[in-house]
Amino acid sequence: MTTRAVEAWTLEPLVKFVKEAGARLVLVMTSAGQVLAQSGFARAVDVMSAAALGAAIMASTEEIARQLNQAPFAALNHQGERHGIFLAGLATGRGRLVALVVYDLDVSSLGLVQLFFEQLAAELQAASPKGSVSKQVLAADFERDLSDSLKTLFGR
Amino acid sequence: MSLVNFTTREITCKIVYYGPGRSGKTTNLHYIYGRVPDTRRGRMVSLATQTDRTLFFDFLPIDLGQISGFSTRFQLYTVPGQVYYNATRRLVLQGADGVVFVADSQARQLDENLESLQNLQSNLLEHGVDVRTVPLVLQYNKQDLPRELILSPADLDDALNFRAVSSFSADALHGQGVFETLKGISELVLKRLAAGTAV
Repeated sequence: MTTRAVEAWTLEPLVKFVKEAGARLVLVMTSAGQVLAQSGFARAVDVMSAAALGAAIMASTEEIARQLNQAPFAALNHQGERHGIFLAGLATGRGRLVALVVYDLDVSSLGLVQLFFEQLAAELQAASPKGSVSKQVLAADFERDLSDSLKTLFGR
Repeated sequence: MSLVNFTTREITCKIVYYGPGRSGKTTNLHYIYGRVPDTRRGRMVSLATQTDRTLFFDFLPIDLGQISGFSTRFQLYTVPGQVYYNATRRLVLQGADGVVFVADSQARQLDENLESLQNLQSNLLEHGVDVRTVPLVLQYNKQDLPRELILSPADLDDALNFRAVSSFSADALHGQGVFETLKGISELVLKRLAAGTAV
């Protein structure tokens, strides 16, 4: 099981949710699809493409809701033969985030995921830092190194 | 919006390839995918129609490696170019750190290029972003076509490059100008990031 967090405050609620809901994988990401945290068996999917696709699904349905003059859909669920995916928005001090949950139907269920998701949303909201993250200075030699790294990657 | 994590020393940025239909946005990503080592790229995802026109987006994550001790990743997206798909185009643009505008150099496509550039401006505004502030480079693709069919880079600069940003001649099908363009936008995005994170 892999647990990784770009922002540490997401970790504890996430690990607890995976255990209690029996989820295979959960990703917390920005609405642009950038992963803030992940927990579970990442081999189940390619994490970055799953995040991009999940964010796109959320963005599409939010746009349909906007055109219908209604609030965004709270959650979306797609159930396959063996796995289900659950997508929902999260209000946090760091702005609106998106959670993507992958669960196995023989281990968990939509009801179980929904039940513990409410708890996850509340805990993430409580744990999130309020306001913007304090700015820090990137290393002074950042620009100098940038040119060298680009040359290495692009070979020119 | 880019993600910078000072604890794990990671940077993630989103670059969007924008432009009119069939200008070569997806071709740029295919070329990059084919040339970047396996260890430096993730899986390429394409949401396309049955006729291989982009329906929602193409997505390619690449790893730029360590820059000043930061593990730096770029997420490259294309938008669907066809006018019909403006709603999805606007969604893909959300949170972009930089934009590559891929123009079709054919003289008969000039109006489509202008329309798409205006559409970029209007869609950025919907996200509260002024096109004059977002890191942007232009790519004049299909410069390999016969001279009588295309406009020169100088003519295209006159017609499209209102902000006097960096522009690159390209033949994306064969790779000419593809990495130069990517390097150009990478520099702009990361320099802006470095400037923006300084207290």
